[in-house]
Amino acid sequence: MRSRQGLIRLLSVLALMAGLALMTAAYAVSANRPQSPVAHTKSVGTFRAVIDTIDYLDTSQAYTAQSLWALWTVYETLVTYRHVAGAAGYQVVPGLASLPKISRGGKVYTLTLRKGLKYSNGKPIRAADFKCTMKRDFLTASPGVGFYDTIVGAKKFETSLKGDIGGIKTKGRTIRITLTSPRGDFLTILAEPFAALVPCGTANQDLSANPPPASGPYKIGPNPDKNRGFSLVRNKYFKPTKYIPRGTPNRVDVTIVGDADAAVQRVISGQADYTNAAIPPERIGTVSNRGQLRLRKSANTYYFWMNTRVYPFNKLKVRQAVNMAIDRSALVKAVWGGLGVTTENILPPTYPSYRKLTLYKRNVAKARQLINQAGAKGADVTVWGRQVSDSQQSTTLYASYLSAIGLKTTLKFLPRSTYYTTIGNSDTKAQTGWARWLEDYPHPLDWFDVLLNGRNIVHENNNNFAYYSNAKTNRLIDGLKKPPALTPAVNKRWANVEKLIMQQAPWAPWSNRTFPEFFSKNMGCISIQRLYGIDFMKVCRK
Amino acid sequence: MAEPATDFTLDTAQVLAEEEHGASIVGRSPWYLAWRRLRRNYIAFIALFVFVVIAVACSLAPIYAHHIAHTAPNATHTEDIVNGKQVLSAPVIGTDAQGNVVVEKAGGVLGPTWWHAHGRFVLGADGLGRDVAVRLLYGGLNSLKIGIGSALICVMVAVLLALLAGFYGGWVDWIITRSFDLIWAFPVLLLAIALGSALSINGFHHFGISISPHSLWIPTLVISYVYVPYVGRPLRGQILSLREKEFIEAAIGQGASPLRIMFSDLLPNVASTALVFFTLIIANNILTEAGLSFLGAGVQPPNPSWGTVIQEGQERIISAPWLTLAPGIAIVLTVLSLNIFGDGLRDALDPRAKVRVEH
Amino acid sequence: MTAFIIRRFLGMIAVLFAVSILVFLIFIIVPGGDPASRIAGKHPTPQNVVNIKKKWGFDKPFYVQYYEMMRKVGTGLLPGNHSQYDVLRSFDDQTNVVHEIKKGMPATFSLTIGAGLIWLFWGVMVGVLSAITAGRWADRMITTVALVGISMPVFWLGIITRYFLAEKPSHPWFPDGGYVPLTASPWEWYKHLILPWFVLAVLFIGFYGRVLRSNILDTINEDYVRTARAKGLTPRRVLAKHVLRNSLIPVVTLFGLDFAAVLGGGAILTETVFELHGVGFYAAERVGALDLPPIMGVTLYGAFFIVLFSAIIDILYAFLDPRIRPA
Repeated sequence: MRSRQGLIRLLSVLALMAGLALMTAAYAVSANRPQSPVAHTKSVGTFRAVIDTIDYLDTSQAYTAQSLWALWTVYETLVTYRHVAGAAGYQVVPGLASLPKISRGGKVYTLTLRKGLKYSNGKPIRAADFKCTMKRDFLTASPGVGFYDTIVGAKKFETSLKGDIGGIKTKGRTIRITLTSPRGDFLTILAEPFAALVPCGTANQDLSANPPPASGPYKIGPNPDKNRGFSLVRNKYFKPTKYIPRGTPNRVDVTIVGDADAAVQRVISGQADYTNAAIPPERIGTVSNRGQLRLRKSANTYYFWMNTRVYPFNKLKVRQAVNMAIDRSALVKAVWGGLGVTTENILPPTYPSYRKLTLYKRNVAKARQLINQAGAKGADVTVWGRQVSDSQQSTTLYASYLSAIGLKTTLKFLPRSTYYTTIGNSDTKAQTGWARWLEDYPHPLDWFDVLLNGRNIVHENNNNFAYYSNAKTNRLIDGLKKPPALTPAVNKRWANVEKLIMQQAPWAPWSNRTFPEFFSKNMGCISIQRLYGIDFMKVCRK
Repeated sequence: MAEPATDFTLDTAQVLAEEEHGASIVGRSPWYLAWRRLRRNYIAFIALFVFVVIAVACSLAPIYAHHIAHTAPNATHTEDIVNGKQVLSAPVIGTDAQGNVVVEKAGGVLGPTWWHAHGRFVLGADGLGRDVAVRLLYGGLNSLKIGIGSALICVMVAVLLALLAGFYGGWVDWIITRSFDLIWAFPVLLLAIALGSALSINGFHHFGISISPHSLWIPTLVISYVYVPYVGRPLRGQILSLREKEFIEAAIGQGASPLRIMFSDLLPNVASTALVFFTLIIANNILTEAGLSFLGAGVQPPNPSWGTVIQEGQERIISAPWLTLAPGIAIVLTVLSLNIFGDGLRDALDPRAKVRVEH
Repeated sequence: MTAFIIRRFLGMIAVLFAVSILVFLIFIIVPGGDPASRIAGKHPTPQNVVNIKKKWGFDKPFYVQYYEMMRKVGTGLLPGNHSQYDVLRSFDDQTNVVHEIKKGMPATFSLTIGAGLIWLFWGVMVGVLSAITAGRWADRMITTVALVGISMPVFWLGIITRYFLAEKPSHPWFPDGGYVPLTASPWEWYKHLILPWFVLAVLFIGFYGRVLRSNILDTINEDYVRTARAKGLTPRRVLAKHVLRNSLIPVVTLFGLDFAAVLGGGAILTETVFELHGVGFYAAERVGALDLPPIMGVTLYGAFFIVLFSAIIDILYAFLDPRIRPA
């Protein structure tokens, strides 16, 4: 028995030692807290950004705000937007080329490339590269090809994937684009990164891991990994212009961190200068004291669509009732902790044609009455949402508002990747659900023509989730495609279209969201570009 | 593949077994003896009591919701005022001269009112203004339904397959053991998540069976399916060795039908093992269900389960940690009580049972 | 013996083949949205969808699609540069699945090896300590703690420890999730992994402790142990040489299987909760998106480890004990 106890002693000592070792380790960890960043230097050096997600590092595929934010400074388009804060950021300015000469009918665009342009590999940028870029978009099945199929010959090329796009003619430094019909938003479409120039001969596949040469102030550094991180370094062949500055940081390190808390922690601890992390509402208070928190208004609208072809939402009264039943301020409070504004409009307030609508004041009793009048009391309604936290929360609340006015609701959440394709398939006959729209380019056509023009309803990948088609508004939208500029008169006509549509209530819009942008305490010169967000090319250190 | 053969005995069982030598046990059924052994294991009884209390409380969820909390599990009350406080209050946010955000007043959810609000929001509210206590009870009901249901199905299917494989041998055995191998080769949780998330899209509508995507049957069947080999393999081994025993050969010799041999001769001999498995696998399945629901592949929102309640609460862990703590504690208590009782049951029924539940 | 090993490995391949078919069937029967319209994105033209279908082979019969998928898995494993259309790619973001799994392996291996060492060491410790103090208060305490350990949902334990040790304190002890490669900074790597290691190990420590304890208690009563004692060996020697050695065999078997499962990305919940971008994290993310190619890749990867380790264990057993060798 004695030596059994000896063994116990031996094992206990071992256990104790292991325990001590762990405690020492833990102490060492706690003692090794990150030090505050060393010596203040005025030069920006490396700007370290922590981003939640990047979809592609190839302009033919990239389609999320984050990717475009990074690629905007790497791949230049023929025309582009100004690096300024505020409304002027929506102004289209010369990029690689001058502003186009537009023919009187609005069908022919003529642009001239600047002299002496070079890619980051030293090779010259040629006008012919524009045609190659367009062809590459079609050949790689780019998600943006839908914007360019008004170019003469584009549809044919998309089908055959062979031959030429007849509507694009290049000669020397001149590019001549002919459209099949006038398109008022074509200038903004040319500024889309899908049309950013890449050299002829670039492989027709997603090159996120091995990006093509850059034409902008920066180029993508070696070995980019879109799921973990990449860097942007100076493109020595780039020459600044009046509209495209050189950029203050010598280098931008982008790290991908999906978890908002971890991302914020990096900025607080000095490991990063900036993050776009969607800070949970409850942390806004604690976070704001430990860095600089800015709120960015971006052009977006969050809404619930109601399928006007399906019972009970084929009845106007039901759709109006829903608009009266939802508690917009409660939604904004619960889902975003107040970081957003309520809206009853389709267009976001950043648009010059925005005129605030107040058609539906919250009135649950009246909403219930309307439901009864429409004979829809107790109707079965499946409410669709996306498996993303904010969508799930708002959809859950939405369903509870629908139940409160006498509809029988069932929730259905789909994975984020298949949500839009499922509700956008007309066979699904989805009744109502959650959606949001972020602008592709600042033009009302990107909203009304894509989302609410009945002539654009398609069987698959439909974006008009309400299946809203109204002869009068369809005609008005088509008519507004022609004017090439958003003059006050044009804006007034757009406001009228918006009002007419909202009277039919295919949507119940509820909010324009504001995004938190978090900087470390020593960052200055923070400038927010309306379209692309934080303009890191202007930052400085305090 | 290697069988994790593990004998498991607790001393209480040994001690009790020794005591029995002196007692008059002649002529008593093994079930009676087991009961005698179990009766003395107070800890196991306390555990059983805790589990029963939890189960009864959860099954009273509708009564609690309607008569005490005056709400429903999915009803949102963001704007209600309880004890002078708004259930969900908005923060007051301003900006300083440089445009930086300054939070003047933090918003948040209502904390636990205990009994000060006459039963409303006893454990506070979640981010959508729902009563956490109500969701916890309903969630427990769902978790228990799935845990017990899947354990029952899993053990029944496993016993049936083990009987067939062990009795017939040959190609029947080959097919059954190979399909066990196949499921075994899958990463368990990955298979469960894949099945769970795939089936919760449109439900299951094949072979004349129709299950809606919201049905609790989906997680129940998925969980029971992935654990069948874990129960079936050891049972098959037991039956294989029983098959060689004289009394089975005698029964075959007498011309007893296969069904009769399987269900009257073989089954009673593995019943105690199956019972122990059943208890322990409920505990295991409750944990699995929580994991699945946490990843969104189990109970579909807005229906609560302990896993989904944790998942929903996690977002507010800083300002409202109870949203995460409460369901977790509920799971630990339930699973712990089942594990303790299962241990006791095993000691009592079959002190030498080769039982191990893989997680 | 050689024949046995060959048969065992042929069986392995057969199981992997069956696994791949099962995964493929799950996603053929259960539609997760048309992959072509998924790839086409927000603004596609109908022609675009048609082009994608052709390019990815979605217009082919399902057995051709299965064959193509398996061929791509094979190509992806071969070294060298391959065209984008010759490798297995995600429907969601078109990444090369094999590359993504490879990228996840350092995090998963770091987690598994560290946690494995911890749980093996502490599991044995718990088992031995509770067995030699059997019936005393120390035993009661240890077994109770072990039981609580196996009764906790691992993801909840992860969330709670992360909250109390990395988020709540004003000067947190540990970094708040994430993975830092060993090559980048060994110290940061270690700091980021301590919590996940322990959280993952807790469950196994409880299991192994319980298993080992009962094994030791059983072995102590075996005849050969009594003989050894009667020979006058010191109890420490008896325990070390006769009892522990024999009781550890099943534990080592368990360890082999569990280690393989975690290596194969089985620690999905731990990796998710701590944001360790390993194979398990990747698996969870892609299963949630019903993205078939990565699910296929990850399942085969995980099944490979499970099947391989159990084959190795079987072969080792066969070496040690000829009776086990199947006829």
